Amino acid sequence: MELSRREFLKSSAAAAAFAAAGAAALGPLQPKDAAAAEGGITWGKAPCRFCGTGCGVLVGVKDNRIVATKGDSQAPVNRGLNCIKGYFLSKVLYGKDRLTTPLIRKGDRMVEASWDEAMTLIAGKFKEAIAKHGPDSVAMYGSGQWTVFEGYAASKLFKGGIGTNNVEVNARLCMASAVTGFMTTFASDEPMGCYDDLDLGDTYFLWGANMAECHPILFSRMIDNRLKNPKVKIIDFGTRHTRTSQMADQYVRFNPQTDLALLNAIAHVIIRDKLYDEQFIKDHVVFKRGKEQIGYGLEDKFKFADEPKLIGFDEYVAFLKPYTPDYVAGISGVPAATIVELAHLYADRKRKVNSLWTMGFNQHTRGTWVNNLVYNVHLLTGKICKPGENPLSLTGQPSACGTTREVGTFTHRLPADMVVTNPEHREKAARIWGVDPKKIPAKPTYNATEMFRALDRGDIKVVWVQVTNPFQSLPNLNRYRKGARKGDGRFVIVSDIYPTRSTELADVILPSASWVEKEGVFGNAERRTQQWFKLVDAPGEARSDLWQTLELARRLGHGSLFPYKQVEPEMWEEYRKFNEGQGKDLAPYAAYAAARGLRWPVVDGRETRWRYAEGHDPYVKPGEGIKFYKNKPDHFKAVVWARPYEPAPEAPDKQYPFWLCTGRVLEHWHTGTMTGRVPEIRRAYPAAVCEMHPDDAKQLGVTNLQQVRITSRRGSIVLPVDLNGRSRAEKGNIFVAFFDEGKLINELCLDAYCPISGEPDFKKCAVRIEKA
Amino acid sequence: MPVSGVVITCVDGCSHDVAERIAAFDGVEVHGVLPDGQIVAVVEADTVDGEVKLVSAFHGLAGVAAVRLAYHNFEDQEQVQP
Repeated sequence: MELSRREFLKSSAAAAAFAAAGAAALGPLQPKDAAAAEGGITWGKAPCRFCGTGCGVLVGVKDNRIVATKGDSQAPVNRGLNCIKGYFLSKVLYGKDRLTTPLIRKGDRMVEASWDEAMTLIAGKFKEAIAKHGPDSVAMYGSGQWTVFEGYAASKLFKGGIGTNNVEVNARLCMASAVTGFMTTFASDEPMGCYDDLDLGDTYFLWGANMAECHPILFSRMIDNRLKNPKVKIIDFGTRHTRTSQMADQYVRFNPQTDLALLNAIAHVIIRDKLYDEQFIKDHVVFKRGKEQIGYGLEDKFKFADEPKLIGFDEYVAFLKPYTPDYVAGISGVPAATIVELAHLYADRKRKVNSLWTMGFNQHTRGTWVNNLVYNVHLLTGKICKPGENPLSLTGQPSACGTTREVGTFTHRLPADMVVTNPEHREKAARIWGVDPKKIPAKPTYNATEMFRALDRGDIKVVWVQVTNPFQSLPNLNRYRKGARKGDGRFVIVSDIYPTRSTELADVILPSASWVEKEGVFGNAERRTQQWFKLVDAPGEARSDLWQTLELARRLGHGSLFPYKQVEPEMWEEYRKFNEGQGKDLAPYAAYAAARGLRWPVVDGRETRWRYAEGHDPYVKPGEGIKFYKNKPDHFKAVVWARPYEPAPEAPDKQYPFWLCTGRVLEHWHTGTMTGRVPEIRRAYPAAVCEMHPDDAKQLGVTNLQQVRITSRRGSIVLPVDLNGRSRAEKGNIFVAFFDEGKLINELCLDAYCPISGEPDFKKCAVRIEKA
Repeated sequence: MPVSGVVITCVDGCSHDVAERIAAFDGVEVHGVLPDGQIVAVVEADTVDGEVKLVSAFHGLAGVAAVRLAYHNFEDQEQVQP
């Protein structure tokens, strides 16, 4: 590169950084010079491809290739700055082994095929399975990284065309408990607050969430707040010491699973010390209790139905009686005095208190319960639905909200929180979709785990996987990997952009377009729906998953379900009809093309920052104050649930004395198919390691980076120990990230799940460790 | 050689110290230290991995509260077409 261009680019880089830092005037370049420096690059907006934060990115394109990215200075989420994963946006589409042609399995080899060949084969397999075994023998497994269009098309085809509820998504593995938490507490999914609460609050309780690595830009907003306001306090409740813990004001270590007990203890103290808001409770809260000892979903076809009963305040107080600070200190390892201190902090009337959480709460065999319990604390104290003061469920994937939850791509769901079990909901869906209401089945079939159990048993024959990697990410992985290759009529289709541990088990691999290689819409964790246009062509013959699904629809005789001339805008306007008037209103498509996203409900062109609150939510009339208007059966009140502490299904014992926790690290996204693809990035964080406490290592006789064998009742793996990493495991615990395709840690994980949400617990199972 | 512009947020009073330390890294130019404790720096390396290594290292320095990316140009990245 010639020197002057290089110097120009460096000036551009500095100018962008100055602008983002809020000091554009100090920048080295005048705007017109900056534009000249960029010579030939056109910029388009898009939400980032990675996490649920939904940062705005400007994507710079030259000669049909992405050559630069910028934090979008007009994006309210991140105001011109991206996290370190923003570097990887340069690489995720350009790995050497990008899939570019359909591939069909012939024996042990995958052979190149045309789209016509591949789709003819796939359609034939669908028709054969449906004819022989019925519509419930075929399935779609999609993703919280699907665009809204991809999810909508899949749901409409399978539920309204083929006539099966066999639509599930990887969001069952990440956000399902958050959803059931919302639905049981508020009768409506998704947060009442928004990211503005990170700027406006002063007290932040983080529960089992390593925000510094997994939601870095949101964490930065909190840190920015703290730098400006010395009153701001961040308390990190965790089972391991992370970068988040390092930066928090207080790190509170607790024993896995005892989050349930801790939240009840906090409520106990709030009640005991009369710190609750009596008027708020009277106006806005009802109390309920459900079934207990509800199982763990370990048996195939496990079923559970709760039986909620209304209880009075006194009964709730009696329920909390055993959760004294001393008792809970005993099981959790958190000192009683700390429990009392933090309960008082939670209830402090002079503070604006927020709670934030993700997978520590959601990937939990009592995930629904623990989501209920954190809401309890906010409801008892009235610290909710106020600017700067809310519980905020953080979403992991870029469109688990926008696609899977809002479109409803789950076995039991339809768009806009509707459910297949409700005949009125089926009628409404059928009306908008233009199908016979009898087409949409009334009974849910399988959650994600059960879907792959069904494939293993042969009850499902054909499964199409899009934008996800289940044969690396499912718990108790060995069973499901074997199940996929049992033959006997089973047929697995995987659409992806790179070879993965799932494509290797497929009968057909389809090459997909990714991110800005197609038009799309995502919805982030703060209800912000964000649109982007296609900016570059996909390589080779790769096509969008949307095209692929519509192609199957056409070949199965359901092409009339998608009669659009301009697919995306017309599909959007059809989809909008579900949300109109439901408190989930979406704007017309053109509004999203123009804006840096809008937070729903969008009514008369205005977005909503705080739901259920007068003056902010258009559905709340003057004088109504706070109204949980989606919960009509409980007179528009929220529910405080009496949920007990129950142990994990597989805790450490003599034979398997350690807790195994799994999760993500900053540099790698999920199963590493995008970030792990490029050798350079793999070198930065080369391979999975076993994070262990130095005392445990000493007892095992291992030193840093030495190999250990980790074994559970389901699988075994050899990894180097990491005693000096940026995070540190607590004694009796280890942590392994799941990004490494060469180290399938999920083979060790237990496929127990929350009976209410169906979400597996990836954070807790028992292992033994030996020097390898 | 990819080039990037980053903003480093520092804890009160640490910014000049941090600026001095990061300026010593090969491939890092400090372009400004702002009154509010933010540092503007330009990072270059032979590869994206090299940039990421440098920027990751900033995270480990005492006094650094956040490291964020404002701009990244990789137009001369090896164009790998399958």
